[in-house]
Amino acid sequence: MRHPYLVYAGRRLAQAVVVILLTYVFTFVVVSILPGDPVTNVLRDPQNGFSEEQIQAIVAAQGLDQPLLVQLWTALTHFLSGDFGLSMRSSRPVATLIAEVLPSTLALASAGLAVALGLAFAIAYGTQFLPGRLGSGLRALPSLFLSVPNFVIGLVLIHAFGFQLGLFRVIEPESAWATAFAAIALGIPISAQIAEVLIANLDHEARQDYAAVARSRGLSPARLFARHLLKPSSLPVVTVIALTVGELLGGSLVTEAVFGRNGVGSLVQRSAAAQDLPVLQAVVALAALIFVLVNLAADLVYPLLDPRITLAGPAARRPGKADEAPHDAPLRTVTG
Amino acid sequence: MAPPDGLTVVAPSPQPLLRVEDLSVAYGRQTVVAGVGFALPRAGSLALIGESGSGKSTIARAVLRLLPRTGRATGRVAIDGREVLGLPERRFRPLRGRAIGFVPQDPGNALNPVRSIGVQAEEAAALLDEPDRVRRTALILETFAAVGLDDPRRVYDAYPHQLSGGMLQRVLIGLAILPRPALLVADEPTSALDVTVQKRILDLLSRLREERGIGLLLITHDLAIAAERADTLVVLKDGTVQEAGRTGTVFASPASAYARKLHADVPSLNPDRYATLREAGFRRRAAGAGPKIAVSAVTKTYRADGRVATQVTKAVDGVSFSVPAGTTHALVGESGSGKTTTIRLLLGLETPDAGSIRVAGQEVTGRSHEALRSVRRQLQLVYQNPFTSLDPTWSVEALVREPLDRFAVGTRLERAERVRAVLADVGLGPHLLARRPDALSGGQRQRVAIARALALKPDVIVLDEPTSALDVSVQADIVEVLLSLQAELGLTYVFVSHDLALVRQLAHTVSVMHRGCVVEEGAVADVFDHPRHAYTAALLDAVPRGIAGRARGPDRRLRTEAA
Repeated sequence: MRHPYLVYAGRRLAQAVVVILLTYVFTFVVVSILPGDPVTNVLRDPQNGFSEEQIQAIVAAQGLDQPLLVQLWTALTHFLSGDFGLSMRSSRPVATLIAEVLPSTLALASAGLAVALGLAFAIAYGTQFLPGRLGSGLRALPSLFLSVPNFVIGLVLIHAFGFQLGLFRVIEPESAWATAFAAIALGIPISAQIAEVLIANLDHEARQDYAAVARSRGLSPARLFARHLLKPSSLPVVTVIALTVGELLGGSLVTEAVFGRNGVGSLVQRSAAAQDLPVLQAVVALAALIFVLVNLAADLVYPLLDPRITLAGPAARRPGKADEAPHDAPLRTVTG
Repeated sequence: MAPPDGLTVVAPSPQPLLRVEDLSVAYGRQTVVAGVGFALPRAGSLALIGESGSGKSTIARAVLRLLPRTGRATGRVAIDGREVLGLPERRFRPLRGRAIGFVPQDPGNALNPVRSIGVQAEEAAALLDEPDRVRRTALILETFAAVGLDDPRRVYDAYPHQLSGGMLQRVLIGLAILPRPALLVADEPTSALDVTVQKRILDLLSRLREERGIGLLLITHDLAIAAERADTLVVLKDGTVQEAGRTGTVFASPASAYARKLHADVPSLNPDRYATLREAGFRRRAAGAGPKIAVSAVTKTYRADGRVATQVTKAVDGVSFSVPAGTTHALVGESGSGKTTTIRLLLGLETPDAGSIRVAGQEVTGRSHEALRSVRRQLQLVYQNPFTSLDPTWSVEALVREPLDRFAVGTRLERAERVRAVLADVGLGPHLLARRPDALSGGQRQRVAIARALALKPDVIVLDEPTSALDVSVQADIVEVLLSLQAELGLTYVFVSHDLALVRQLAHTVSVMHRGCVVEEGAVADVFDHPRHAYTAALLDAVPRGIAGRARGPDRRLRTEAA
């Protein structure tokens, strides 16, 4: 018999693949029905000085004279084999272009997420255990964080730690220190969302009967937090993290611009200005891929955090509590 | 009335296990407990009795030092002569579990749902002076067996949602007694459980008290349970002690008006309280009134599709009963006996696999959604829990008027008139019209739910455990309202309950259900006085009967005392 978790994981994975393919098809269709033909715009630009024969040759070579469905099929099969075509701006493979800038963005985004999580859990822990005004002051922090845009935080950090204190060289934006400060700028607004959900849930869980009963067993506040409150409170946090991935990616594009980093953001900026469709399409597909993967990860984590989640789907749920009572065993008489 | 009187009687030794003196608890400016005092001797038992809001649970929480942050307790609470109310939390913590164990009200919420039972049991075991982990786990399994859990290993590995309420309460009692405390505080330990399970849990607590010499502080709203299980009673109302003393004295000759009312409100002690109101129904039945409801051979099966095999649960299996017009028929049984499924079928919320259901001569089964609408008008439901069955954002007026609007009854003015009339019928004044459910008490909410059911002038009302979420005294009010309405309007009731004492008070006929089947049926007096089926007898035996119940308890010492 197969393990139900593996069956569940397999089904979720299959769904993820379908979603990614559909996203690719969707962007392809949207781009082709958009008004204006960027291909012809670029090729027929007098500055480029292509002759009509050359244009025809390029169009034929790229398969642009084929019917749309055929083009889609070609693009899809190439996409699946990792071939995203050539950039129209630089004539270099799109895959290479993205591979050059992706590590920088991924480093920033994951460092940003780490900062966000660390901050959120620290704030949430503080609200539960710091006494009096300090604890309630911390509760105001997330809304403050949320109301400051990350580029403002970025500029302040660059000014204070880059120029004033000289902790990092502003002209070396990919250095470890610069990356750390960029991650802080990116992580702060996202930490606010996570912290708000986490605080609300910790408050909720702390009011539950089981928390009082656990305290009656002599658990210290720290152990109560770590052993009982944290896990159930983290479930909604997983959802929030999955949802903020979009924000994390969008935020890293802004942060890259502020810190002058050469990441996916600057590539998108350059390609959009030049209507470099193959690059843009690959970036959209990549974003979809990341989004789907993170949500897939969230789906796979839920059942590990909460044993009450049934893996088999709604059909297998028991009707009511029909079989509850018979479990209760008759009292055993204890002798001696 | 002042408590000291009771105190002198119950304090045999100079140093009781628990002594509470002049205890007051306030939330902000609002005082909820004022000047309460009592003493519990070593291995003794004492019950705090009162309705919701009497402060009984607040006292328990104050003794356990589990009050919410906004609560302030003043006075003295001494355990083994040691003052604990003023102790800083860090110095009180070593007493938690080791000196005082806690058995909470609702076992379904008292264990962390995402942690296994074993993880939580190890926390209790950590309080023992036992450095060896394997040994500690063995002690847990031993304790689970001692509290009547048949398969301790399975329980240890399970998560809370995989166990029944009765099993969870056994687990919680096990965890409470594991560190061998001298005092156990049980806050309504059985109010969320079925009667038969309730009896087993109470028996278990009594047995542990005798075998291990654990003092029991029992909090309950049910005088019958308190009198059956405790040596001393402390009757509370509005945060003050009304009466206190030895159980025999308080129970047999209550001195305060409130204690007398509590006594009168317990169904098992007053089976004939509503004899006059029920008379009309008995006469109709004797006169051979035609059946208003006829259920015959109804079966409902649920399937749980697994990969390997299809599990089939027969929720209702060939159930038949009929209810003469203007009488009350009760369906009794424990959780899982199929009574809820039966009424869902009756209401047309589910379709039976086989059998027929006729209401006022009309077939309910196999009807279209539209056709059901006209039947529904004759057939209304009052749901179990008035705290969840009323939309909290609606006013009382909107709640009661909704069914009238749905069926477009009369003009706007006539509908408004009707709302006032039905509210008056259930004893609610027009000043409540604009209130929202939050601003009503539990009893008032259930009256609103009844008024809502009455609005369309139905012939039949299905009452699904209408008082199980309410206090005994509020329950008595609601039962009175229901029976008056029946006597006045000739309503037919189908009453679902696991409380046999209540059924005996208000029903005319009864069907006892067990695992989806009717095991016994007939007139209430016949079935209850001469039960033929063992299951009926077991249900009846589980009804707490106050001081009379002590003679049959497992506790031999008590038996001699009661004699």
